[in-house]
This record gives sequence, C-alpha cells and structure tokens, in this order.
Amino acid sequence: MPFGTGLLQGLSVAFRNLLRGPITVQYPDERIELPERARWAVRPKYAEDGAHKCTACMNCVRACPDEILALDFTTREDKTKHIDSLTYEAGACMMCGLCVEVCPFDAIKMSHDYELAVIDANEMLEELLADVDAASVRKERPETPVAGGGTDVG
Amino acid sequence: MNDAAERAEEVAADSAVADEVGHVPGGVTAEGELVAPVLPKGLRRVPRGVDEVATEHLVVNMGPQHPSTHGVLHILLELDGEEIIAAEASLGYLHRGIEKLSEHRRYAHIGTLLDRADYLSGIHTETAFAMAVERMLEIEVPEKAWWIRCLLAEVNRIASHLVWLGTFGLDIGAMGPFLYCLRDREQLLDILETVTGARMMFNYVRPGGVLMDLPPETEPMIRKFLSTFDKYMSEYDELLSGNEIFLRRVKGIGIISPETAVAFGLTGASLRGSGFGWDVRKERPYGIYPELDFDIPVGSVGDCWDRYVVRMEEMRWAAKLTTQLLDGMPAGDFTAKVPRVLRPPAGEAYAAVESPRGELGVHVISDGSDKPYRLKIRPPALYNLAVIDEVLPGYKIADAVAIVGSLDIVLGEIDR
Amino acid sequence: MSPYLEVLLKALAALGLMLVNGVVLIYMLRKVLGHFHLRLGPMRVGWHGTLQTIADVVKLLTKEDFNPSLTDKALFVVAPFVVFVPSFMAYLALPFHESLKFADLDNGLFYVFGVLAIVPVGVLMAGWASNSKWSLIGGMRATAQQIAYEVPLLLSVLGVVLIAGSLNLAEIVRTQQGLWLGFIPRWYIIPQFPAFVLFLIAGLAELNQTPFDMSEAESELVAGFVNEYSGMKFAFFFLAEFSNSFIISALAATVFFGGWLVPWYPDAPAWLCAMVFLIKTYVGIFVLMWIRGTLPRIRIDQLLAYGWKVLIPASLVWILVTGFVLKAVA
Repeated sequence: MPFGTGLLQGLSVAFRNLLRGPITVQYPDERIELPERARWAVRPKYAEDGAHKCTACMNCVRACPDEILALDFTTREDKTKHIDSLTYEAGACMMCGLCVEVCPFDAIKMSHDYELAVIDANEMLEELLADVDAASVRKERPETPVAGGGTDVG
Repeated sequence: MNDAAERAEEVAADSAVADEVGHVPGGVTAEGELVAPVLPKGLRRVPRGVDEVATEHLVVNMGPQHPSTHGVLHILLELDGEEIIAAEASLGYLHRGIEKLSEHRRYAHIGTLLDRADYLSGIHTETAFAMAVERMLEIEVPEKAWWIRCLLAEVNRIASHLVWLGTFGLDIGAMGPFLYCLRDREQLLDILETVTGARMMFNYVRPGGVLMDLPPETEPMIRKFLSTFDKYMSEYDELLSGNEIFLRRVKGIGIISPETAVAFGLTGASLRGSGFGWDVRKERPYGIYPELDFDIPVGSVGDCWDRYVVRMEEMRWAAKLTTQLLDGMPAGDFTAKVPRVLRPPAGEAYAAVESPRGELGVHVISDGSDKPYRLKIRPPALYNLAVIDEVLPGYKIADAVAIVGSLDIVLGEIDR
Repeated sequence: MSPYLEVLLKALAALGLMLVNGVVLIYMLRKVLGHFHLRLGPMRVGWHGTLQTIADVVKLLTKEDFNPSLTDKALFVVAPFVVFVPSFMAYLALPFHESLKFADLDNGLFYVFGVLAIVPVGVLMAGWASNSKWSLIGGMRATAQQIAYEVPLLLSVLGVVLIAGSLNLAEIVRTQQGLWLGFIPRWYIIPQFPAFVLFLIAGLAELNQTPFDMSEAESELVAGFVNEYSGMKFAFFFLAEFSNSFIISALAATVFFGGWLVPWYPDAPAWLCAMVFLIKTYVGIFVLMWIRGTLPRIRIDQLLAYGWKVLIPASLVWILVTGFVLKAVA
C-alpha cells in the first residue's frame, strides 16, 4: 500500500462516525433509565400502610464500612424502642450496599436517588428516620430479596 | 538500544563527578535569584556538552500534574534537548492506605476497598481477594459462581483495555479513538451495572461466590455488545493500526528485552509483548479457565507496537471467551453457604488472577479474627512501571509518553 | 475621502473580520470536533451553544491578567502581540473579490509568507519568557518546526506562481478564470495537485495543527508555549491560531481553488463571489479540523527529518517539473 492510505482510512473512519450522529444524553432533559440493581443513596423502606420497618437492631450501623450511619434510640421499660434519629451522611456514602445486605427486616434500600448535590454541606447529613417508635421485631419478614443488593450472602 | 553495563559505568562516573562538584540548594534567594535545585541521587547532572560548548541537562518533572501520566504519576526526566538521559518514576500521589485500612475491616467489607485499588478492573481484584479467603476457609465455590466471575472478569477486561486503547491513542496524539472507545466501554459499564449495581465500584464478588445471580437481561445485553464489537475493533485497526504516523510512533520504540521484562517482574501484556508467553490463566489456572478454549497472544520484539498488538488481540480473545462463557453458563447456586462473619483460621494465603495489567495477587494473613492481620496487593502495574527507569533513557520525550502509555498503568493500583 | 482614513477603515474592517472569524471558528471547532467524536459540543448557552464563544470571550476578558513571578516581564507581555499582529497583517493581503480587497499587493503571496514567518519568533519569545521548562521546549520545537516547514510551504506555491506569472494574489485568481474542455474549472489544483498536497502538509505544520502540533502537544508538553498564559494574553494566542488557519485555508482557496471565482458562472456579483470565497475557505478549515480530530501526532525528530529530507526536495523537484513543462508548452 502506498504511504498515506492508512491516514486516509483513518479520516474515513472519523467521517463515518460523524455520520453516525452523537450519542450524548442531554442529562437534565433526557435521562438514562437505571437498571434495577443500581445502588444510590440509602433510603428507608416503608410498608404498604406507610409505616417504616426499622427495629433499631443496629446491624446496618455496625456494617457500614465508612461509619456514616448513626442510630440513636431509647429503650423503654417494656423493652420497646423509640428511634430518636437515624442519620445518614450522603456525602460520605460510597453506595456499597452492605447496610442493606445485613438489614434483617428489609427496612432500608439502595434507592435510585442519584441527584444528591446540595448547596449547603450540612444538608448532606440526612435524617432517614426521626422521633418514631421502632417497628416490632415480630413483624412479618420479607420473602423476596430487594433491589440493589438485598440478598444475604451468609 | 541500551547496553546496561555501559550505562551503569556512565552513571557511576557521572555521579562521582557530581559528588565532587557538590549539590547546590535549590530555590529562590532573597535577591530573587533562581538557584538550581538539588537533584535526586541517580540522576546524572553533569552536562556532556556538544563540541566543547558547555550545555546543561534539563531536569523536568513530568507530572504529577500532566495530561498523559494517567493520573498522578510523576516522572523525573533528565533531558539533553529532547533526548532522555535518565528517568525516575516517583510514586505515591494516589496513596490511600488501602492495605492498612483493610486490617480494620471485616472480610466481607474489604471488597469495597479493593475496587478502588485498580479502579478499571474491580472484578479482578475482588476475585483475587475472594480466592485467597476461600483458600484459607477451604470453601468450595459453586461452579456457577465461577462462570459468573469469569464472565464479568472478561467483560471487565475488555472495558479496561478499551480505556487503555483510548488513552494510548490520546498519548500518541489521536483524539478520536478515545471517545470511540468510551462509547463501547459505556455499554460494558451498563452491563456491569445491571449485574452488580455499580458501574465501577462493584462490591460484587464475595468470598464463597458472588452477591447475586445474573439478571435475565444480561445475556441479550452482552450479545448486543458483542455483535457490534468486531465492527468497532476493525475500525480501531483502521484508525490506528494501519496509520503510518502511529506506526512510526510505536514500532521499535520502548524495546523491553525478555530478560529485562523477567528481571523487572513484568506480567500481563507487557511481558507477553516481549515474547514471553506467560499468563496466570494458563500457568496457574483458576476458576473455569481450564475448561475454556483460548490462546495467549505473544509479541516478538517487545516494543510498544508488540504490546499494542498483544492487547488488541487480548480484547478479541476476551470477546470470544465472553461468548463461550455465555453459551456454557450452567444452572446452580451462585454462592456457597458462607457464615455471616468470616473468621479464617490463623494462616496465610496468596491468590493471583490475570488482571488486564498482569498478575494481580492478593496475599492475606489471618490471625483467626474477623479482620485480616495483614493484606498485601501485588499490583501488576507497579512492576510494569518500574521498567521505565531502564527503558526510557535514549528515547525522546514523546516516546516516554508512548512507552508509559503502552505499559497500561493505573495509578490507583500502583499507589494503593 | 482622505487616504489615511481609508487605510484606517480598511485596517479596522480587517481587524473586525479577524475577530468575528475567531469567534465563529472557535464555535465551529467545538461543534465539528464534537460531532466527529460522537458528541454534541456546546449546547447550553444560546441555541445549540451559539453564544458559548461569546461567554468565553467575556470570561477571558474579565479574567485576572496574571503574570507568574520569575517570568521575563517585557517579553512575556509582548509575545502574544508578536504572534497576533502578523496574523492580522496577513489578512490585509487576502482578496475577497476584484473590488473587495484590503490592499492590492503585487507581491501579496510573498508578503503573506513573510509576515507569517514572524510568528515563530513570538512563540519562541513566549516559550523563553515563561521561564517554564515545558514552555521552553515548546518554543524551541515551534522554531525548529517552522523554519523547517516555512521553506516547503513557500516552494510548494512557486509552481503556481510560475504558471500565473505573478505573486499578486488577485492576479493569480484572475488567471484561473474560464473552463477546460468546457466544464472543468481552470483551477490550479488540477495541474498542480502534487503542489497542493505539499502545501497542505506544510500548511498543517505551519499552523501547528495535528499531526504537527509540536509546540503545544498537550500529551507531551502539557500546553507547550502557552503553559503559563491565561486570560486575554492566552486569548491572543488562540485568536492568532484560528486566524492563521483562516489565512492558510484562504491561501489554499486563492492559489489552488480559484479564489473568489464561481465555477460555471463567470458574471457572478461581488457579494456572491465573496460568499463563495468564504465557503471555499471554510471547507478548507473543516478539513483541517477533520484531520485534527483524527490523526495522531508525529514525533519532533521525524517531523524535522520529513520536512528537510522529503518535503523540500519534493517541492524543488516539482518546481523543476513545472518549469520544464511550461518551457516545453511555450
């Protein structure tokens, strides 16, 4: 092949790609649909009647590698628990899904909530639950694993 | 190109002169005068001069803020005009203490850290770690789990090599291939996201198996990608492999002899480019690789072109392996029964996988508790990078960029 | 009208054209490269990002005029203008139509190459004055490259000059009037095709364009000689670069593609001729951008070897061939 054919070939490939048209997704106007398992910010899960499912068992808090979940609760005399707050630092979360994996009551999920930017850094510290009674431990357990890493390894 | 013995002699002679002259403290004096800085040991600072005209060598810092050092690599280059006299890689700008942090995390949680070591091929690091832990715990991993691991590993290998191809093109100066490669990689990341839930930080391969079964939409997605992949690969060939300028920039540049490659502990495509056909998947087979049919592409000269060809061929083979893995995907469990908290017995284990960059090993020492006593990653890119001190001298600045690019370094893995 | 006023107005018109061109070309570059790379380019400011360049100009104008310490202040400030002014001067020689000329220079072609030869001086000044090693290497590269490629660039058009018998750009265009065999425009691209190839290669090098963007070489020298520049000074370099690509493209259109002549329509009105000239030029610029978005960069020593050992002998041989053929025909 004479010198330069490779260069012309390259130019023709570039032109072919020009004709293919852009693949850009114009983000705020268009959105890509997230796959079901996509892991984004941690959010509490609610039962059908709107009640949260957290029993304040502390499993997620212990599991979190970044220690960004904090649960404050008071135990009453009759052994029931009252959740003062379940806080979550979205800014430090790496969305690994370990907290959701260990949750025995299916009370939290890795949501598809990915627009996490805020103006004030303090807003990054979110209260997932505040001043509510903890759910009863004896409540029905879920049968199916949840989206985004709900399956238990062990 | 470099006679090692002769070079060593020259270095010795020059550093002797340098010792005689003595080092000058660098910086700016109170009068605003610029004083030459102290140079690190090993760099020869005595100019040789041309026809008795006193010339000086120029020491430049390539990086850590430099567009083509793949992150934050810092190379000290001593230049005679455009020619490199000595080179020294300076590392550690991306050190996050992953190994140390691992000593404070339970076994199940370490995957999140390892993804961040080699951020272009997280599945491989996770797999190596899982293998090491499985060895200590003597867990029997179900076959299906291995098929899934290998499938994702090959998908991840193509994704990683596509980034390499794009950035290598960018290093040589071609802007187009980079964006075309990322277009293809995007599809692969979508596949990985569908399976694992994250695009790069998977946290998916766990000791005992994998986190979740493959979702049903995986297979059509991968097949769709493979259907266009061949076409796009031939386009990359047209863009670069046949391009006269590209050929001039890579052929005969950065020759690593097989002896040098072995002496520096090179692995992966950088070693195979030098004509040494060594691949962990063949030599110390793991998972279901012995059941699969694949070849190891091997170069001959050990220049940038050979490494380029080997990586391109590897991508094609990875695509073929992906097809085989999809076709043969068995039914069964995706994970073994593993206790919730892993406490491997006191002891140690090393497991290695063939990552896109070479032999990626994880060495775990356990003291019987639920956290490793010590975890050590063998980052292939670190060993591959080490060879530049030996190879770069004698080439031009532009070649340095090409050579470093051809070694496919990932700083996250090198500095950990 | 006083002749001084006329000259001043013409110069101002050329400056205006140059600035407008810069704005348009930056937008065009982003869009063209974007679409070559499967992207969209700027889309947010104005309709399809049309106002993006305006926003950038405003940004560059309002940015702090920053001088790093330890630079050679005087040279550092002067360098952008040494690059910018020749580029502006070269505009004056371009004929847009018989009646639309800033200046009718008898040695127009020679003049354009002459003033463009000042550019590497400014680049070297910038590289030296920045007191940065990358800038210095970039400046040295630019000088070595432009000296090596200035010669073949000039030699490559000499064949056309031999045929046209003039260095006047307008005269060169006039000699391209008419048709061969009744339908092929008498453009010099046809008899002088090898010269055009030489001109294209040398022109790319002269423009510091990929695959010859040695002095900037972002993957090697970070940004080369403009490393330490920011704000308006940087904008001057940028503007000069874009206007140079306009000049080289316009020269190619003038010398090889019949300038303002509209093929098969000899009595075209002046405005149409000027439009056609601009279209030819912009098509040329599009090709430059196309090359820029595709090809890898050649190495500096290969570039110099190519310039001295291939391009210059080849262009000399071509002049010889043209001369012999002309003599034989005559």
